[in-house]
Amino acid sequence: MPETIIIHLTINGTGRSFRTPPGRRLLDLIRDDAGQTGTKEGCGAGECGACTVLLDGLPIPSCLVLAASCEGHEITTVEGLVHDGSPHAVQEAMVETGGVQCGFCTPGVIMTSVALLENSIDDREEQGRRLAGNLCRCTGYEKIFHALEVAGTTDD
Amino acid sequence: MDLSVKDIYRPLTFDEAVAAFSDEPSMLPIAGGTDISVQMRAGKFAGAHLLDLSGVLPRSISADGGFIEIGAGATMDEIADSGPLRSVCPALCQAARKVGAWPIQCRATLGGNLANASPAADTAPPLLVADALVVAAGQGGLRNIEAEDFFAGPGENTLKPGELIHSIRLPVTDPPSFSRFTKLGWQREQIISVVSLSISLHLNDQGLVTKAAAALGAVAATPKRAPSVEAVLVGHSLDPAAISRAVEAVQNDITPIDDIRAPAWYRRVAAATLVERMLEEASGA
Amino acid sequence: MTKIQPPLGGSHRRPDAMAKATGQTRYVGDLALPGMLHAAIAVSDRASARVLNFDVASARRMPGVEAVVTADEIPGDNQVGVIFPDQPLLVTDRVRMVGDRLALVAARTPEEAWDAARAISPAYEDQPGVFDPEKALDETSPTLHGTDNLLHTFQVLRGQTDPDHLDADVIVEAHYEIGGQDHAYLEPQACLAVPEGDRITISASCQCPFYIQQAVARVLAIPLASVRVEQAPTGGAFGGKEDYPSEPAACAAMLAWRTRRPVRLLYSREFDLQVTTKRHAMVVQHRWGADKNGRLVFAEVEAVLDCGAYAGLSTVVAERANVSAIGPYAVPNIMVRTRIAYTNNLFGGAYRGFGAPQVSFAAEATMDTLAHRLGMDPLEFRRINLVTPSDPLTCTDQPLAAPQMAQACLDRAVKDSEEHQIAPRAPDSWRRGRGISLALYGINLHRGGQFLDRSSAVVILQPDASVIVRVGLTEMGQGNLAAVQTVTAAALGIQPDKVQVWQPDTTTVADSGPTVASRGSHSSGRAVLDAIERLRRRLDPIAAELLGCRPEDVELADSCARVSGGGPSVPLIDVTREMAARRIETISTGWYRSKPRVFDEATGMGEPYASYAMACHVVDVAVDPDLGLVRVEHVAAAHDVGRVLHRTAAEGQVEGGVVQAMGWALTEELKLDQGRLLNPSFTDYLIPTSDDAPPVTVALLEDAPGRGPFGSKGLGEPAFIPTAAAIRNAVCAALDVEINRLPLTPPVIVRALAGNHRFKHLME
Repeated sequence: MPETIIIHLTINGTGRSFRTPPGRRLLDLIRDDAGQTGTKEGCGAGECGACTVLLDGLPIPSCLVLAASCEGHEITTVEGLVHDGSPHAVQEAMVETGGVQCGFCTPGVIMTSVALLENSIDDREEQGRRLAGNLCRCTGYEKIFHALEVAGTTDD
Repeated sequence: MDLSVKDIYRPLTFDEAVAAFSDEPSMLPIAGGTDISVQMRAGKFAGAHLLDLSGVLPRSISADGGFIEIGAGATMDEIADSGPLRSVCPALCQAARKVGAWPIQCRATLGGNLANASPAADTAPPLLVADALVVAAGQGGLRNIEAEDFFAGPGENTLKPGELIHSIRLPVTDPPSFSRFTKLGWQREQIISVVSLSISLHLNDQGLVTKAAAALGAVAATPKRAPSVEAVLVGHSLDPAAISRAVEAVQNDITPIDDIRAPAWYRRVAAATLVERMLEEASGA
Repeated sequence: MTKIQPPLGGSHRRPDAMAKATGQTRYVGDLALPGMLHAAIAVSDRASARVLNFDVASARRMPGVEAVVTADEIPGDNQVGVIFPDQPLLVTDRVRMVGDRLALVAARTPEEAWDAARAISPAYEDQPGVFDPEKALDETSPTLHGTDNLLHTFQVLRGQTDPDHLDADVIVEAHYEIGGQDHAYLEPQACLAVPEGDRITISASCQCPFYIQQAVARVLAIPLASVRVEQAPTGGAFGGKEDYPSEPAACAAMLAWRTRRPVRLLYSREFDLQVTTKRHAMVVQHRWGADKNGRLVFAEVEAVLDCGAYAGLSTVVAERANVSAIGPYAVPNIMVRTRIAYTNNLFGGAYRGFGAPQVSFAAEATMDTLAHRLGMDPLEFRRINLVTPSDPLTCTDQPLAAPQMAQACLDRAVKDSEEHQIAPRAPDSWRRGRGISLALYGINLHRGGQFLDRSSAVVILQPDASVIVRVGLTEMGQGNLAAVQTVTAAALGIQPDKVQVWQPDTTTVADSGPTVASRGSHSSGRAVLDAIERLRRRLDPIAAELLGCRPEDVELADSCARVSGGGPSVPLIDVTREMAARRIETISTGWYRSKPRVFDEATGMGEPYASYAMACHVVDVAVDPDLGLVRVEHVAAAHDVGRVLHRTAAEGQVEGGVVQAMGWALTEELKLDQGRLLNPSFTDYLIPTSDDAPPVTVALLEDAPGRGPFGSKGLGEPAFIPTAAAIRNAVCAALDVEINRLPLTPPVIVRALAGNHRFKHLME
């Protein structure tokens, strides 16, 4: 067994330390070590986006990022969007518009969508380009776009 | 699943990283990790001793004399949105916005995109066209490598053992009148290039091309300049005849192969089409 | 029947959505148990070989490995074939495809399990393989099972069927090569097996817990009653989790049985793409004739399905393909022959549309080609030949209940397409084209599978007038929970949030067959209505007592029981409390089964399906004439749905089906070399992204009630079927070419232009 290392990072607002093997992916640290299984693994190769989380506010594919390289940084997952029991506007909108079907891409779609809105990217064409790393096989994306529109207006 | 990593060294400064890598050049440097992780997952570099550069690479994009210096750790997202770069080298910004999808762009670094030396690396053609310098850091300090000399083959670069990419320097004293990047795949986003192209042109008041640079990706063992295209453009205006000569000339500059993404013949057709369209756009600009 | 009332046709929040959106839903990969081991599978990397010997002793000694299981250790039948017993769980002496299982590994971590599985590498003696389905039918080809590679032949013979006598003013002959497709559900195959004494519990991402129950019982040689299968939240399926999950479940069960510990098996994306079932690739040969007035005279279809190495569900897929080959057109003389050929390719399985998309693609392409040869508008040519109330027979001579819906769907989709302001999604210099395609879809299981067509429901009325419902059909993203919730709420006149629908579990509902063939809401909804009807035999007398009326005058609406015709009412909760106080039985079971149908196998005449739905898609595309890139700019989709149960879920089925079919039509190419998939990743197996997805105008036509609850009809598959042909027809119209293959990747399109392409000299 390889030696273990210690990693400190903030997950959903709470500073935590983990002892892990050096090759641990951020995705596995979040799911297995931190027990936050909302973030999904759909391909492990950075192509499907199901594992998208926010690293210091920007979306990243957590399956391609080593946990060790996130030392000292802030991670937000789909669980961390719920504040005082209230879901984020994007979560509400996804549910309201029918943007959720099988749900497996949903956490990643939501994380990228939150980043889109926080960066004021509200043009539909540009949203389509920026969401292209979050594959969805169920919805045809139409209702996801609708959710972005709804969340964009409720967010302001 | 954990990647097969024996150990990871996390230096606190870039100098520490350089010193450690000089001592132990068998380490595998990793920055954003978006490309290396995919290769490791496929079984490459098993049992690697990683050198984690993610926190220590220079990351700023700043003017420095006649250059803009881009830290090797600058992400694609930062480059795509960089105001200074947009004004002097829009092609690089366009390319950065086409590397993977947005979450990849928020993590992938310019240094990583170059060091991996994929023939399809999207930032390579604009940097080749801009006569960029890759600044390598090693035991003896910094050394400049011409972008054109940087790529040695698929996955191969000309960094010496123990050298890391420190930054990329773009000469900006004489910005081109036209600078573009385009790529082609079966989809528009989140796609590995089947062919990519960047062209920069200097045009004088009479509309004559005084300086031309072109480079392509995914049509040879490395991203490469297109000297034949450049030669037929310089000294001419961008009239249909000149464009047509460039379209023919590009075939001399490429050696595409059949692979899983496209047949060689298609890449030839695509290179011709992309060169023609980009020059037509330039002629109207 | 209870009258139609809210929330029918509404868009209330889907019951499963918020848990999914906040990360609370636990998929199999999110479940971990103390002492749980991780499974891996050692598979063949050869498509056709003898296995000379293989050694698992060294794998057993690898770090973390707790068990390695080979075929000789299977207590029951070493067999996972869903219809024919032609597929071993673990091979012994011969491999027939890449991905054939050699041994199973359980280890402490997934890394250790897969490392050990990869270390198992037998000595092989390669054998000649066959990879082309048409060649596979040659007598000289190497065979996979028995003496030839022909698994089965189906036919439709109607009117004059002697080819020598089939003549017409205009005849089109065409040869279609239609590629397969991976389901690309976002959640790869996953299951968890937990042994407990003489019984075992499986949690699986699947479409049919009952198939898994049967497979596990057979492999472990234990009674069905000893196998409990729970439907786990399922991250997309599309057919890929109908038959296939029995295989990983049997693997996990075998290892759990052996180690007496919980065992979880998760496929990686690459492994999933490399070994799981696919949509069948097909070769279809057409010879269709029409008279000079544009009336179809005859249609001759020769289809060959690439079965792959094992039968799987290929016979039932072919059965549907066979009777779907003509589409919604009235043709007097028909000769369809559908054959299934074993090859050493990856094996075909269930996939949304079940063989119909491939043959529909060919039919709708031929319709366009015939129209062009006749000098007619393809729209007009279709109008002339559609089934109508005066000519209402399908190709199997089955009268359609609502043949007018073919015309209605066509008119509506054309109208929506013409009225929609298409925002250009590609440069002006690209060529534009519009394509039309229709589908006639037989709802529910084919007559050959009708023995599976039953469905179980359990309804438990709570004292507070809320309701627990369990059905035997599954939620995999399509909205079955929402549909069943809606049906229950509408039937009981209560708010949907008072209804909790739970996923199937083989210990709580009876075998209801697979959730396929667009039968989910149909069959589970009907079973729920049956359960509610039985419940009301106990509820209505109590309500009648409280209301002072006769039980037959009780109606339920607005969360009340009331005297029908606007009489007095009492809150339903008063009734349910009274039932509880009197200890009246508040659990009720329901059952649905389809009626027997008549069908002649030899001629293909009769009633393959109980009922049908129509659909029409009109697609606008832009095509780059130099590079062969295609951008779909708009899709108008009109569907004959009978009755909308849940509006956003129904729209989502259509929008998602269109985009999934667009991927099949344009970019999703299974690149097989000697049976090995060369592109087992989303890097090179390209499914549509948000940037590719076109706007879809969805019309849900409610003019012709179906046989589902409240008159609804199945929608999941009709949503997929017409799109690819409409895209093909649009691309061909844009470029004035005829391309008879799928997918239409840029090189295929550029090649088709060859003679006219500006850079044709570069194409050598």
